[in-house]
Amino acid sequence: MIRKLLLICTCALLFCLPGFSQTLPVTGRVVAALDKQPMPGVTVSVKGTTIGGMTNTNGEFSLNVPAGKATLVVRFVGYLPKEVAVTAGQTNIQVQLAEDVQQLNDVVVVGYTSKKQNELTSAVTVVSANKLKDVTANDIGTMLQGKVAGLNVVNSSGAPGAVAEIRLRGVSSVNASQSPLFVVDGIIGGNYDPNDVESITVLKDAGATALYGSQANAGVIIVTTKSAKQGETRFEAKISTGFRTADFGKMNLMNSNELYDYQKEFYRDYIVGAPDNSYKIDLVKFYAERPLSLRNQNYNWSKESFKSAPVYNFYLSASGKTEKNDYYVGASYYKEKGTFVNTNFERVNLRGNSTYHFSKKLDVTNNINLSASQGKSYDYMDVYYSFLNMPWDNPYDAAGNPIYVDGNSAFKWWSRDKINPLNTVQNSDHSYKGFNVNYDLGINYRITNWLTFASTNRVSASFDKGTNYVSPVAAGTYHGKGYIDELNTLNYGVISNQLFKFDFRLGDHSISGFVGGAFESSKNEYSGGSGQGLPEGLKVLSVASNTQLVNGANSKYILQSLISQVNYNYKEKYFLSGSYRYDGSSNFAPSKHYGGFPSVSAAWLASNEEFLSDNSVINNLKIRGSYGITGTQDIGASRYLGLFSLTTQYNSLVGAVPYQLASPNLTWESKRQINAGIDIGLFKRVNLTVDVYRNDTKDLLLQVSQPLSVGFETKWENAGSVINKGIEVGINSTNIKTKDFEWNTDFTINFNNNKLEGFPSDIVKTGSWSISQIYRNGGNLFEFYMPKWLGVDAQTGAPVWEKVIYNTEGKAVAREKTSDYAQATIQEVGSALPKFQGGFNNSFRYKNFNLRVSTYFNYGNKVFSNNLRFMMNDGHEPYYNQIKLPDGAKVWSGPGDTQATEPSPQNSANSTENSTRYLKDGSYFTIRNIAFSYTLPTAWANKIAMKGVSVGVTADNVATFSNFLGQDPQTTITPNSFSTPGVSDFKYPNNRQYLLTVNFNF
Amino acid sequence: MKKRIFTIIALVVFAASSCKNLDVNPSDAISTGTIVTTSDGLTNALNGAYALFKDHIEFNGLVDQNNMYLRQFYHLSDFASDDIVCGQVTTDPLYYSFSLGHSPSQGNTRYYWYISYKIITGVNTVIDAVEKSGKTDAKTNQLLGECYFLRAFCHFNLVRLFGKPYSVDPNAPGIILRTNLTDDAKKARSTVKEVYDSVIADSEKAATLMTQPRGVQYASQEAAWSLLARVNLYKEDNAKAIEWSNKVINSGKFTLATKATYPALFANATTASETIFCVAFTTVDDYGKFGSIASMIYSDGNSGWGEEYASSSLRAAMAPHPEDVRWSYIVPAKDGSGNVQKKNGIEMYYISKFSFQGGSPNLSSPIMFRIAELYLIRAEAEAKTGAAPAALDDVDEIRKNRGLEGSLYNKVLPAGKTALDVVLDEKRIEMAFEGHRTYDVFRNKRTLNKAYWGYHLAGLKETDIDLSKTPTGYPNLTVPYTNPRTIYYIPIDEVLSNPLATQNP
Repeated sequence: MIRKLLLICTCALLFCLPGFSQTLPVTGRVVAALDKQPMPGVTVSVKGTTIGGMTNTNGEFSLNVPAGKATLVVRFVGYLPKEVAVTAGQTNIQVQLAEDVQQLNDVVVVGYTSKKQNELTSAVTVVSANKLKDVTANDIGTMLQGKVAGLNVVNSSGAPGAVAEIRLRGVSSVNASQSPLFVVDGIIGGNYDPNDVESITVLKDAGATALYGSQANAGVIIVTTKSAKQGETRFEAKISTGFRTADFGKMNLMNSNELYDYQKEFYRDYIVGAPDNSYKIDLVKFYAERPLSLRNQNYNWSKESFKSAPVYNFYLSASGKTEKNDYYVGASYYKEKGTFVNTNFERVNLRGNSTYHFSKKLDVTNNINLSASQGKSYDYMDVYYSFLNMPWDNPYDAAGNPIYVDGNSAFKWWSRDKINPLNTVQNSDHSYKGFNVNYDLGINYRITNWLTFASTNRVSASFDKGTNYVSPVAAGTYHGKGYIDELNTLNYGVISNQLFKFDFRLGDHSISGFVGGAFESSKNEYSGGSGQGLPEGLKVLSVASNTQLVNGANSKYILQSLISQVNYNYKEKYFLSGSYRYDGSSNFAPSKHYGGFPSVSAAWLASNEEFLSDNSVINNLKIRGSYGITGTQDIGASRYLGLFSLTTQYNSLVGAVPYQLASPNLTWESKRQINAGIDIGLFKRVNLTVDVYRNDTKDLLLQVSQPLSVGFETKWENAGSVINKGIEVGINSTNIKTKDFEWNTDFTINFNNNKLEGFPSDIVKTGSWSISQIYRNGGNLFEFYMPKWLGVDAQTGAPVWEKVIYNTEGKAVAREKTSDYAQATIQEVGSALPKFQGGFNNSFRYKNFNLRVSTYFNYGNKVFSNNLRFMMNDGHEPYYNQIKLPDGAKVWSGPGDTQATEPSPQNSANSTENSTRYLKDGSYFTIRNIAFSYTLPTAWANKIAMKGVSVGVTADNVATFSNFLGQDPQTTITPNSFSTPGVSDFKYPNNRQYLLTVNFNF
Repeated sequence: MKKRIFTIIALVVFAASSCKNLDVNPSDAISTGTIVTTSDGLTNALNGAYALFKDHIEFNGLVDQNNMYLRQFYHLSDFASDDIVCGQVTTDPLYYSFSLGHSPSQGNTRYYWYISYKIITGVNTVIDAVEKSGKTDAKTNQLLGECYFLRAFCHFNLVRLFGKPYSVDPNAPGIILRTNLTDDAKKARSTVKEVYDSVIADSEKAATLMTQPRGVQYASQEAAWSLLARVNLYKEDNAKAIEWSNKVINSGKFTLATKATYPALFANATTASETIFCVAFTTVDDYGKFGSIASMIYSDGNSGWGEEYASSSLRAAMAPHPEDVRWSYIVPAKDGSGNVQKKNGIEMYYISKFSFQGGSPNLSSPIMFRIAELYLIRAEAEAKTGAAPAALDDVDEIRKNRGLEGSLYNKVLPAGKTALDVVLDEKRIEMAFEGHRTYDVFRNKRTLNKAYWGYHLAGLKETDIDLSKTPTGYPNLTVPYTNPRTIYYIPIDEVLSNPLATQNP
């Protein structure tokens, strides 16, 4: 078939080139320089002509070349192009292609267009599929952790199907979206499977991101899905399987004995203020209330609730090219069970990418992605109880089933609440399903040789359904009644970009760019219902007999834009680029709909200058600079309006409740970004990229705290600025490269510093559990604001906080100790954002063995370990299990106990209130991933009719090193409904994951 | 052909991306500017104000089932009283009402403060719109009157919790008065007296405006009179308290429940003969274990937490009269052999005043004003103005209907008691768990005696409990009215965002 194709190609070429009267064949073979393996699919063309073809499976090519001397240009993605001088009629030419370690000639997709790496004028990082796929996950964010300088990735939850939080160059916004904009195959948004990803491009400065205008404040991540690389049909199959275990970090709970001994502290003979305290532990009372037999009742609730869980990932793809058609078809199936009982997630994804070449002028691309997922989620309270129930309670009955317990149960149940989460889980269901369709239509019409019309369009629709069901037999509030709720969400939208792209060359000058328009519209519609009074065994809304409730609403968003870009370069040495985007968004008041976002960037590719050509040390040197403005408007619709919400009722009549304060002048948050960077390539082995940046986000879209006495918590305002300054270093180095052994190192680090400015007054945001953070001029984002914990009063055992005495000018003049929490001074005690973070990754190859070790580090942030409020509670809640006290910790035992670190359970008023007692250092170093693989020798693979087979094992989240006390320090940094940034709660623990992966190419 | 298809596609694509109207309105909300332009909108806004007493509104980005105006209304007052005992230490801030370990950042006072002012803002929006419209028809006036009533009611409930009693110090800092939409967001606390003056002015205005009653689920003229009677009693303007009580009692619209009907009064608040104003909960407002008022004080084993009980102190006060029908709201949790169960050593006497509407253990329509209170307000004012026989008659009026027709005072003071003692003793039993006790004790400059076993005693262990003895040696066994913790701290959010608001000592 390949031969047939070649024949067709050749015929076509002949047909196209009637001007040449005489041609002679040239034949040869292309092999890889490193292993001398034949390379199929390599493009071979004759310089200065349109004659060309591709190598076959054996790396062989054959071209008809006009008589006389000619130059063959041999190209393949990821390899350095090579020119070979030949004479027509020459046969058996051997061409060796060397891998392009620095990939300077690779084409990088940078949004609406693509550029060669060496033409880039802005800070852009490309991560190829090779570097991503060592981690098997359902989420690309998880795969990117530690691989891009300036990209902060936080896996804040280990729940099945959970996705990582991604922040680029620090956090530059407070209440607007902080997550980078994802662009899939040139179109904003979109759905894809990680297996289908060819490469990821991260656009970091305004030089590149300003083209996305009002959506690009948090950076842009461009996902390019796979396409055919070669003529013949190629198949790839991947099978991964393994298991996961819950990683509780340093949250070691007490076992039965430890808790038993700890509780003796509750029996100290001490009544505050009483004259006759003996301060001795009253063992008689203790044994009366806590029989010795408790020591033998040791049940590990978290171990019973979190089990190791299997993961599977199957992937099959086919790709190929014909004269008229390029295609890629991929299918993936991903399934994981959650470590928490009765949780799971599975997803199936089908992708078809095809480009049809109607004529030399017209290409039409049709990409379709279908995915369906379903899973079982969990109830927070079930996780909560599986940490806090006491080891003295047996979760199981005599038959080994989770025991039923409620307020009427006659047997002794020690734990605070008469709830067995294992029984509840068995009798409840929190499942969800989703279906997602994306269809992309791309039209590329070459109007003239310098002008192209490019249209990219996507229609997308998704439907999601979530159900919560509690059986009438479950203990708790729905016992005897049962409960069900359902929520159905439909999202659909259209995106359309129409561009005219131009590309001129005039001697040493070239100008390219585009102008066009874009339109985006999306709609969300949801509806749901709930009810109680269900017959046992049935779980649909129709059988609910009472307390039926319905809900539903919809929202709409429109963005329309003009976009343009011009790029100029002189002699491939001096590059200048400018762009302008004009956006209109439905999120603002009519007078504030439109905003403009310009950028300019330039680069000098010094290594293309005479004085550096053929320099043996420096093979690449580029200096870049950019300035631009991006914006954010992603705060949801209608934030500028004063609103009454009509979603409630009183006495069965509609009620309208004050919901939002009007803010008619609300407008774009804009981020002025300056970036300077340098790219250096040394010895053709080491690439060093350094970028420094300063990003001023002005007019922050902020929910400004109001005095509660106005009846509103916050008001949307454009208030204050965040200035992020930072430096980013990325190094990748081929330390050793021989035929048999190769060692590569990637290192990234990003120092980021943020400062707040221009706030009209201090703003204190107080979230759930009354944890506050302050926004103050000169201060940091997400700065915790709470009393300082000073330990324990040695004489009384009472908790001690710091009280600062201020003089009349407001200056602190003295610091005192107080045991009255209400007197303690609320002060700034550290930010939830890290000072620096990065990754250090090494890969080794010995012959066919590969080993890759990825690590990630994060330094200088504070995490509030809210779990400790329950698990280090000084007897406030004596029937919750407790965390093992850290080394050196000691409960106060009597007057003069200067060693005590934990207050007396008899005198611990307010000790669990917010203070730095539970605010911990969130720095950590984690061995993110170790991947070991073996590629079967080609000869062996061929025997089983394969082109290549590799087998690998990977371990994820191998170890985390941290001083944090609690679950692992990776904690949400998103301020949203349920969380304050940097506050760690009873989360679904992250996973350790062990996988076996087999890859087949055929 | 291909060209034609391409042309069509290109045209469609262009059409799709042509200019669109960017004005988008929310689907489940109406702008403040629009809602006040229709009488329907104003009615909805007023209904919304009532709904806020029972709804769980998002606070700090979270809908927390603990957060409900009425839930906190009862917790913050009754859990601090000697009527309810704590059977379980908890990290829920409701515990601080027992332990007096108050903090400006406790979530329940923060929410209560917030929602009070949200109700006030809602009605202020309606008042502003109606007064600008110039409409004065009876229907509009009723609506306007309800708004004034709710504003007065909320301001008064706030000043009771966050300001010292009027009788103790009328010039002490009260709360922030919000009586218009134009005041600066940053505003100082008014004095207790200023707040009372505003509450009385609003209530009097409300009473004159409301002439078209909408049912006991809504404010009415009599509700405004009842509030005036209560406020004036607290203010110790006893003549006014008697005057307003008389107006309500003599309206003839409300009668005391009888011995036979009293046990079903609270489960049927909307139709009960005593109800002047209640907050209506319907079956969809049956919040279950996490969000209901009843769940902390009652459980059928699954329906609630059931961790707080009728105190031994209250039960001792009722003990001489087992025939008193008011026992019907105190439900001992008994084990198989008929003994009262204990939780952590505390006897479990559940409270059922907020249960059994439609048979649900967690549903009731809490009564804000009922006729029995007006008799007791009048009795107290009479007692204070030297009219002891009249006071005792009013008390007897209640007792006759509670199964105590054999134990009436008949104008004779029992030995060693003042008329005020008798009235307050009766009120304690009659209005138990309805959010009166602490105010009645402290505004009368009395001391709350909490010398009974319960987890309000700091560091108490189950084995310390000896029910045959009275606990000694613990702090806070008694709470005099001078204790600064008889009121709560101003919530941290207010103090931090509004520097003019001073904190309580």
